[in-house]
Amino acid sequence: MNFRRVLAVTKRVFLDLKNDKRTLALLTLAPIFSMTLFGLAFSGEVKDVQVIVVNLDEGATIPLIGDVVFANAVVHNLDTEVLAITTSANLSVSITELENGNAWAVIYFPENYTSEAILAALPLINTTSYLDIYIDTSNINVAESITREVNEAIISAAEENGQQMPVTVRATPIYGSNVEFMDFFVPGIMCFVVYFLTTLLTLITFVGERVSGTLHRVLATPLTEAEIVAGYAITFSVVGTLQATILLSYGILAFDVDIAGEIWLAFLVIVVLAIVSQALGILGSALAKREAQAVQLVPFIVMPGFLLSGVFWPLEAIPVWLRPASLFVPPTYAIDACRSVMLRGWGLDMVWHDVVALLIFAAVFLALASWSLRRRQ
Amino acid sequence: MEELAIETSQLTKKFGDFTAVNALDLKVRKGEVYGLLGPNGAGKTTVIKVLCGLLKMNGGSAKMLGTPAPSKSIAGRIGYMPQETALYVGLTVRQNLEFFGSIFGLGKAKVEARISELLKVIDLEVWAKTLVNNLSGGMKHRVSLACALMSEPEILFLDEPTVGVDPELRASFWQYFQNLRSQGITILITTHYMDEARHCDRIGFMRNGKLIAEGSPTHLLESTRTTSLEDAFLEVVKEVGP
Ligand SMILES: Nc1ncnc2c1ncn2[C@@H]1O[C@H](COP(=O)(O)OP(=O)(O)OP(=O)(O)O)[C@@H](O)[C@H]1O
Ligand SMILES: [Mg+2]
Repeated sequence: MNFRRVLAVTKRVFLDLKNDKRTLALLTLAPIFSMTLFGLAFSGEVKDVQVIVVNLDEGATIPLIGDVVFANAVVHNLDTEVLAITTSANLSVSITELENGNAWAVIYFPENYTSEAILAALPLINTTSYLDIYIDTSNINVAESITREVNEAIISAAEENGQQMPVTVRATPIYGSNVEFMDFFVPGIMCFVVYFLTTLLTLITFVGERVSGTLHRVLATPLTEAEIVAGYAITFSVVGTLQATILLSYGILAFDVDIAGEIWLAFLVIVVLAIVSQALGILGSALAKREAQAVQLVPFIVMPGFLLSGVFWPLEAIPVWLRPASLFVPPTYAIDACRSVMLRGWGLDMVWHDVVALLIFAAVFLALASWSLRRRQ
Repeated sequence: MEELAIETSQLTKKFGDFTAVNALDLKVRKGEVYGLLGPNGAGKTTVIKVLCGLLKMNGGSAKMLGTPAPSKSIAGRIGYMPQETALYVGLTVRQNLEFFGSIFGLGKAKVEARISELLKVIDLEVWAKTLVNNLSGGMKHRVSLACALMSEPEILFLDEPTVGVDPELRASFWQYFQNLRSQGITILITTHYMDEARHCDRIGFMRNGKLIAEGSPTHLLESTRTTSLEDAFLEVVKEVGP
């Protein structure tokens, strides 16, 4: 391999990117755009969910304490940021509202809510107090949020009333004591954006090289297939680093992202990921005869990276039988490594297996990419 | 014995069941301008691509500059101008030329010297900083030719180099090709312009992947008792049969 020829390819690909303002904009603005969009949309919380509270609780009188209405305490403890509460005295009217899609849930406290609760607290009496949630589960996220909010409100109300919970769960953060959604999100989106844009861009550029005949033309010169692949790899690892820098700076400025560990390690991971991705793009280009066909390959690039890499959904949320598939998706390792570095502050001693996995991917994909170019009709 | 720049023996190229080049024996002498003529689909481009190592041959063998071809070891001594205008349209004329210079391993000074010389040949000096994308079709073709010439190759494959080039510039191209020949450079050229094929030292008529006649333009005209190469070709076709 002749390094000067490799650099000639690198320079040429750079010039191609530099001369093309739209691609340049894609490379720099797309990361910012996607981070903003995802950051705002996936801010992690469900807000302003319409619910109707039907509170018919008549309360009870406790000796020495006086009149209490437990339901009021629960309602008072509902988080009004998450739940947009309207009240009603009529259960059937409220349920009709729910059925008409005007509310996500009806929270119903029966007349005996407090009295049953008091009885239940007495020893030897075996009874339970109920509140009912009629809930529209057509959106599982919303439904879960409502149930969680009500449960939390019940616990808070009970504590306010001086009731002892039999067990209290204490969570002690080991890593990332103040982790917010964006802290978790930025490392993932960094990897995803670099993976996606690099693969897409090399795919399209390379199909272009095949279609226009430039690939054949340079293959008739002393330039070898491996040198072409290496030249591209250098360009895109630099571009990947730049993108990661943009994303990171933007994450810090706009979303106040914290970085616990040594950031160079995250960049190293991104560089290797970019190399893997560009090799994947070159490989994919062998499957497309025209630019339009390249577009048909996009879902096969995006979907695994999106669904199987853990960028949004934890791998634990994937069915067990499908989980091994994520091992074949390169961003999985990059995302895991970047999160560990940036959130947990881990060093190379802890994330080396991710780095090694990525390096193996890089070696295999680079070899496959130059093999795919070496094939002749 | 004359030295041969290109020599194929029984060269065969198939695409599936279709034989594009059929047991071709082609001999091109050093310092010769050899014209491959023939109808669309005759296999001219395919021969060049096989010799440049872009297509695998299915049978026979080839030698270029005394070395079994195709081979990367002689790629640096060969220039190839493809039939399609294979250029980096997102780069300027100059950037394209620089790139081709550097992958042939030319030094900076050499690249500069070649660029200024070739820009004159293709008469595009004022367009040097223009993106290839913004050039006319004929201009792109001229840039493509210049890219093939950057490395001062010993063998030059020119696949229809004058398509879409205006008559005046076409004449000056042929002048330049004669120039290259006088420097001992071998040129294998394909063209559909029968009139300009006169400038070749020798011509091979190709059809269905085979050479059906070969010789100097005057020889071909005399042997077929015709006055134009076009008629000569038709005459040969008649003799050979379908
Ligand atoms: N990649 C390919 N796959 C299948 N068939 C091909 C391929 N390339 C060329 N052919 C076929 O081989 C034959 C010779 O093609 P070639 O391009 O060599 O013709 P040509 O003499 O250069 O024609 P033209 O004057 O039109 O350029 C044609 O019939 C063509 O259809
Ligand atoms: Mg052709």
